[in-house]
Amino acid sequence: MPVDLKCKIAGVEFANPIMTASGCAGYGEELAQIYPLSNLGALVTKSISLKVRPGYPPPRTVETPGGLLNAIGLANVGIDRFLNEKVPFLEQQKTKVIVNVAGSTIDEYVEVCSRLNDCSCADMIELNISCPNVNEGGIEFGTSPKLTEKTVAAARKVFKRPIIAKLAPNVTSIVEIAKAAEQGGADALSIINSVIGTAVDIDSWKPLLANINGGLTGPAIKPIALAMVSGVYRKCKLPIIGIGGITDYKDVIEYLLYGATAVQVGTALFVDPSAPLKIVKGLKKYLKEKKLKSVTELIGKVRR
Amino acid sequence: MTKPTCEDTLVVKKRDLKNDYFSLVLAPFSGAKSIKPGQFVHIRLPSTEIYFRRAFSVASVNPVKKEVEIIFKVFGRGTKILGKMRKGDSLDLLGPLGVPFSFPNKKERAVIVAGGVGFPPLMFLAEKMIERGHNPKQIEFFYGGRSKTELVELSRLKKMGIKLHLSTDDGSAGTKGLVIGPVEKYLKKHLNEKLKLFGCGPEKMLKAVDELGLKYDIKGQLALEALMPCGVGICLGCVVPLKAGGFARVCCDGPVFEIGVVNIAC
Ligand SMILES: Cc1cc2nc3c(=O)[nH]c(=O)nc-3n(C[C@H](O)[C@H](O)[C@H](O)COP(=O)(O)OP(=O)(O)OC[C@H]3O[C@@H](n4cnc5c(N)ncnc54)[C@H](O)[C@@H]3O)c2cc1C
Ligand SMILES: Cc1cc2nc3c(=O)[nH]c(=O)nc-3n(C[C@H](O)[C@H](O)[C@H](O)COP(=O)(O)O)c2cc1C
Ligand code: FES
Repeated sequence: MPVDLKCKIAGVEFANPIMTASGCAGYGEELAQIYPLSNLGALVTKSISLKVRPGYPPPRTVETPGGLLNAIGLANVGIDRFLNEKVPFLEQQKTKVIVNVAGSTIDEYVEVCSRLNDCSCADMIELNISCPNVNEGGIEFGTSPKLTEKTVAAARKVFKRPIIAKLAPNVTSIVEIAKAAEQGGADALSIINSVIGTAVDIDSWKPLLANINGGLTGPAIKPIALAMVSGVYRKCKLPIIGIGGITDYKDVIEYLLYGATAVQVGTALFVDPSAPLKIVKGLKKYLKEKKLKSVTELIGKVRR
Repeated sequence: MTKPTCEDTLVVKKRDLKNDYFSLVLAPFSGAKSIKPGQFVHIRLPSTEIYFRRAFSVASVNPVKKEVEIIFKVFGRGTKILGKMRKGDSLDLLGPLGVPFSFPNKKERAVIVAGGVGFPPLMFLAEKMIERGHNPKQIEFFYGGRSKTELVELSRLKKMGIKLHLSTDDGSAGTKGLVIGPVEKYLKKHLNEKLKLFGCGPEKMLKAVDELGLKYDIKGQLALEALMPCGVGICLGCVVPLKAGGFARVCCDGPVFEIGVVNIAC
């Protein structure tokens, strides 16, 4: 009997629950050189901002035990070039497209979201609220429940299809932020973005990243992310996309059991660009072995 | 450009080149035939402690046997593991990756500048040039290292019939001093000829070659290195600043860049 990997979030149906994480697959062009993107549940784009951003100077990455520290600086082509140069390619791909949006003011989020509302290629948007707010002394939108709600609500007004809020882990209570996003009108939550970290060269005594601080990702953060998914699942009704340290199908099953409906794979793509294909294969085999018909039967089934 | 593939290969041959230098021949790799000089393979290490791949320039290929050769020096954790690999061990290879060198016109004299462990892609370039009919006597191969022990595969290079110019910082072989000295001397003497520069090695050397190219108005290409988490263009971790502003990815906009394009820091 064939197993069913399809899943649905806010009315949008995905061929399988495996998506690429923002910033870990560019705009899809490079991965499409390696395999058809129809193998993915969805492609999530790099964060798109109003203006083009060159990003931080190198060094931008440091390898850490089981992880990666990165300070890329949201380097992206900006909304104009995204619509002109990247969307024609994305329209040809037989996969769902989630456009990740970044901003340094609420107005910027609104402007990008409204431009995307007219772009049918964007099946959903994902708000990256782990961005510093230049109008409020640089604090991240996603660290304040009030700012989170305001940002989501503002995007909600101009974008008519489903909105995902992507939560930052660097907060006192992620449940509170999740509820604020729900209040603002989010349809789903992505949990989590990268964890703040840094590293120093003990010979030169200089930070190893040009930006000093970076975001930690990869297997090292999986337990943190899982706990956050689990916590939010119990307190908030929105569907969850689990992110953090996923490298194989076993990781995915853990996320589903703790309440995620789908997942995103980020850093693992750097080690193996074909990781999503292998995960899908592994999931199918697991479902068969466990005599389950659909991957959705795993969601939230952890035995507490 | 050929699409990169990811395959398990076997170590079919290992040579100890002394002083921490090793050569590994890996096969079968279906993409071997299409690999061009300057391109690299991204190798996953059989270790749970090292998560990311390491990039290695291809030093030669055998298209019939689908073999890929890499030459490396043991620097840190990754190359230490590679140095312990034995014949029959398996390694996961992703490639071919990156923009290759463009071959010089057969009438041009190639001035190749190799520093230390930067020589493998240049040896591959010289070999392929000769295969394509370039006169080996039109290939000036400058090869510099810290000392005599840092210069490897000399008999192989000599056998190619190219003009080999060695130099060492300590004078234990060839000219004493940095490789760039003899290169500049050579360029000055041959400015009336059609020359093309090629370089790969430490950043300081690359910067000097870049400056020589601009100073004497000689075109050419440099192969750069960077920390490369993905190697395929999706992480934006490997960028270098461009003189015209902005950044380029070393893994897929390079690693080979035209002289005068990259703002080489060191
Ligand atoms: C396109 C490309 C082609 C390459 N081709 C080759 C090749 O043909 N042969 C080869 O030996 N290496 C090559 N490298 C470098 C190689 O990928 C490894 O980075 C290097 O061999 C060290 O890896 P490691 O894991 O042993 O060191 P790590 O554990 O990552 O680092 C250990 C220490 O070595 C230093 N280090 C790392 N790389 C270098 C380097 N290249 N030169 C000087 N110091 C370094 C680090 O700063 C660190 O302090 C290439 C790199 C790139 C990007
Ligand atoms: C190099 C890199 C760049 C990233 N860029 C973005 C980005 O632009 N926007 C965003 O919302 N998240 C970005 N992220 C975070 C990832 O989308 C993801 O949340 C995080 O990496 C955790 O997942 P992982 O452990 O599977 O990588 C980036 C991560 C990495 C490693
Ligand atoms: S190594 Fe990832 S973009 Fe170059």
